[in-house]
Formats: sequence, C-alpha cells, structure tokens
Amino acid sequence: MFSGFLLEILRSSVESIKANKLRSFLTTLGIVIGVMTVIGVMSVISGFQKYIATSFSQLGANVLYVSKYPWGFGMSREEWKKIQRREDIGLKEAEALKEYGTSFKYVSPSILRNMKMEKDDKEAEDVQIEGASEDFSRITNREVSLGRFLSKDDIKYMRHVCVLGQDVVNALFPEENPIGKKVKIQGRQFSVIGIMKEKGKMMGQSMDNTAFIPYTTMTAFTGKRISINIAVYAEEGKETEEEIRWILRGVRDLKPGEEDDFSINSSEALISQFNQMTSTFLMISIAIAAISLVVGGIGIMNIMLVSVSERTREIGVRKAIGAKSGEILGQFLMESVVICLFGGFLGIILGASLTKLISLMSNGNVPFHIPIWSIILGFGFCFTIGVFFGYYPARKASKLSPVEALRYE
Amino acid sequence: MSELIKMRDVTKVYPLGQTEVHALRGVNVSIKKGEFISIIGPSGSGKSTLMHIIGCLDVATSGTYFLRGKDVSKMDGNQLADIRKEFIGFIFQDFYLLPDVPAWYNVSLPMIYNRVAPKERKKKAVVILESVGLGDRVNHLPNQLSGGERQRVAIARALANEPEIIIADEPTGNLDSVRGEEILEILSDLHEKGKTIIIVSHEKYVAERGKRKIYLKDGRVEGKN
Repeated sequence: MFSGFLLEILRSSVESIKANKLRSFLTTLGIVIGVMTVIGVMSVISGFQKYIATSFSQLGANVLYVSKYPWGFGMSREEWKKIQRREDIGLKEAEALKEYGTSFKYVSPSILRNMKMEKDDKEAEDVQIEGASEDFSRITNREVSLGRFLSKDDIKYMRHVCVLGQDVVNALFPEENPIGKKVKIQGRQFSVIGIMKEKGKMMGQSMDNTAFIPYTTMTAFTGKRISINIAVYAEEGKETEEEIRWILRGVRDLKPGEEDDFSINSSEALISQFNQMTSTFLMISIAIAAISLVVGGIGIMNIMLVSVSERTREIGVRKAIGAKSGEILGQFLMESVVICLFGGFLGIILGASLTKLISLMSNGNVPFHIPIWSIILGFGFCFTIGVFFGYYPARKASKLSPVEALRYE
Repeated sequence: MSELIKMRDVTKVYPLGQTEVHALRGVNVSIKKGEFISIIGPSGSGKSTLMHIIGCLDVATSGTYFLRGKDVSKMDGNQLADIRKEFIGFIFQDFYLLPDVPAWYNVSLPMIYNRVAPKERKKKAVVILESVGLGDRVNHLPNQLSGGERQRVAIARALANEPEIIIADEPTGNLDSVRGEEILEILSDLHEKGKTIIIVSHEKYVAERGKRKIYLKDGRVEGKN
C-alpha cells in the first residue's frame, strides 16, 4: 500500500513537471551538463584505456622485458641522463638468464631493426626485423601458420633463415608459397622457413610487417655493441622478476646497495602506469562536473522554492483533506528528484552521443564504450542532488500551517 | 444522540505585530451527531477561526475540545491530519480544486492519503461524482466546469473518505442564488443521510438552512448553547 502512495506522488510529480515543461528543462540544464561531462569523459577515458590495454597486451601477457630503458612516462631530465649512462645490455645477460634461471624457462633476446626486404623485383620497406631465439614464439604466445619457427640449431649455427609476418608475405609472395624460397634482407640472402599467424594492429600500426631471424645472425647486421632487450616468460605466481634482478645484478657486478642499472618492464606495468595517469585526468574532470552539478542543484532548490510558494494553496488543500507533513515532504522531494533524474537521463543521452562522436572522429581508435558504472554514478549523483537540494524547499512546504496555506493569496 | 463535538472555554489568540488578536474569547459549543448547524456572525466575529478549530486545521490557545470523546487540543500535527482525513470533509468558498487534473482525480485526492488502491479510488470517485449529479463531468478539468459544478466536485471530494462531519465555509459565496440553492440542497440531502453538517456563512438564506444556529460576536457565542 505504501508503494502505491510512492507511485502516486511519482505520478503527480511527473504531472507537475509536464505542466511546466520549459521551466523544468531550464532548471535541470545544470544537471544535464554535469552528467553529460561525467559520462562523456568517463566513456572516452575508459574507451581509451581499453584501447591501450588491448594494444599493449599484444606484447604478450606475463612477458617481462629486460632493457636498458624503463618503459613509461614522467621521468625527470636527471633521471633520464642517469639512465643513458647505464651500461648496455647484451647477449651476456641473455645467456646468463637462460642458464641460471630456475623459475622461468623461456628467454629470448629481442634485437629490433627496421630494414628493407627484397624478393626478385618486389620489395618491402621498413620491415621490423627481430633477432630472437627459439623461445620467442612461446614467450609471446605467437605461432606460425605455416612452416616452423626458429630452432635451437638455427641459433647455434647462425643460419640465414627467417620467419615472415603476413604483411611481408603479402608484399613479397602475393601468389606463391614462400616456404623454402629465398629473400634478401639488406642485401643478404635468407631462406624462408615459416609464416607467423596474423596479429593485427597496435596503436594503429600493423604488427605483421615483421620478420624473425636468429639473434646470432642479427648481430651480423648490428654488431655486438648494441643494447638489446631480453624477453622472459614469467609463469603465474612465481617470483620471476626478483630472480631476474638477482641474476642480472650478479652478471653486471653490482655491489649491495648499488641501484639497479637495468629495467624490468612489462606491458601490465605500462598499462597500469597509463591508467594511473588517465585516472588523474578523470578525477579532475569529475571535480569539474561536480561543480556543475552543485550549481545545477542550487538551480533546482531555487525553482522548488518558487514552486512551493506558487502552490501554497494546493499544499493547504492537501493538508486539509488529511495529508501529513511527511507526505507533503515526500511529494516535493519526489518532484525534485524526478527533475534531477530527468536531467540525468538527458545528460546520459547527450554524453553517450558525444562519446559516439569522438569515437567516429577517431576512426574507431577510441572504441565507443559507455561503462555501466558511469551511468550508475550519473544517476546516483542526480538522485543525491535531488534529495539534498530538494530537502529544504520540501521541508518548508511540509511545515506550512494548513490555515495559513489556505489563506495564502 | 451522542455528543460529537464538545468545546469548553476555547480561546484563540493570534500575534499581530506587537499586539495580539483575540479571535475567540472562551467559546462553549456542543454539537451532536447528525445535527445541521449554521455558524453565523459578522466578519471578524471569529467564525472562521472557530471553523478551523472544529475542523482540526488549527488548535485552540486554551480550553478543551473533545471530538468523538477524544481530546483534540493535545494532539500533534500528524494526529490532527489523521482526524481530518477520517472524520472531516471540507468545502471552501473558492472550491480549491487542483486546476491541472480532472474532476475524478480531485475527488480521489483524499483517498490517496487514506491509502486506497488506485483502481478503487477512481471507481469510487466516479460513484460519488454521479451522486452529486456530475456523472458526465468525470474527466473534465476544473476550468471546463461552471462554478456550481466546481463546488459539487468539491463536495464530492469532501465525501471521498466518508467523513462524519462536513464543514462548509461560505459554500455559496461565489455562486449565484440558483446555484447556491442547488449546493444547499445537496448539503440538506447529506444531512438527511445522517451526516453532521456545519455551515459557516454570513448570508441569511444560507444560515436559515441550519436546524440550529450558533451566533458569534466578538469571539463569543451569543445566546445559550
């Protein structure tokens, strides 16, 4: 029976808002803008975070990269200079990790260089050639679709063999099976032994314009004096990172107390760093939106006070026929909440449209994604504001004496 | 017949700026169930104040007021609201209908606060409107109705919770004499059916309808009661 009463005051709230359409709309504009901002900013940021997460996770989940340089942002100039002075990371470290590692099995150097590949009269520019070991496909969870990946012997005997990415295959072998064929990398001949499965794009760049060759062969191009990355597959729940640290500190002769002169990076850490940065931005946006919502709330309070004084007679009649103070309070509170929720609803629609627009303008790089919790938060905000700023006018209405309310002209 | 209303030494004092207005100066009134009472007197005599106190819209400054044997003068706002809801129906000079809702909804308003289920509310509102001759005006808005019709809607609203007492404050004040007569006929009918009717008016032909008259002057009842 009580819910029947709630339904009734809900209904009468909607009626009285309908009776004052323009006024209600103008009143709720502050709320609309606030909620639109919340929804818009949250959706764009969460879409962007999703995009970054899927992009970086292509580097491989559970993969640690040992490098001279740390991944990420926000380093000071001094820190950067110090890092530049670090000793290069070389094959020595990779071999030590492979030999001494107990919590991890798969280790591969990752030496990258962009080079030109040729096949007869066809060529592929700027192919990312990656010098790697036989473990690399397991570490990054990438498989061949045809042929085989690099083998231990390929590494040992510094063979001139390569595994091609799909883009390279498309460029050099549009119509034939490349396995067993010869290609030229920077003028040197390599035999094609396999083709990698297609991987798609990361940060808008194709991940398939690539070729893998034994890292031992790679040093023929790069020389040995170059800082390399080392990829390690870290199994779930093991202290791989700690072990890598200790092995590297040993190899690099660091004394106790000395700082690490290498970085252990992971896509997870990078993603979380990125998320942290965007979260700060998110907080600022929410703070701005909150100000707009408070301003909107004051507007609501103002219009509710006007409404109470305009409807003093009605309040008197309702009281005369038996409405209790609490029921009058409930009615006006409901009205203010309904106006606010209506504003919230409009704001969500506009915010979602804004997000869609941004998504379209970014050519789908920022996916259209409205997080459910941003909608819940938006409505929650509106409800709270409706109650908070509606309470004073509603209380004022409920406290009117019936006789005075009826006499009101 | 039992005593429905019993007031003893009721006073009402309003603050008015620095001074006070003594609207009622010790009123004794007894009304039995089923009576048809006219409260009459010149303006400023305190009849509106007396009506408000009888109707539990206001409380006395001093004195006692027993309604159906219960001491109303000690009750708080919510208890008074309950009394108004269950036992009293008001009819006002200016009708006081909600302008944006149809006649039937105006009539169903008191039932909302009495927690009557929605479907039943409408059904009952229609029945009551038919009983006051407005069966064909159920869905009309107040501004689509004549003054007499509006007052009949207001009577229907006063009857919604089947109160024992109907209090009418100058019910014909905004109507011509023909429409006024119609309203008084309806009130007489209700009296016949056993309702206790209290009319407040300064118009003689209205007051004449009452089976018993209470004259007020300067906040006191003239004559014996």
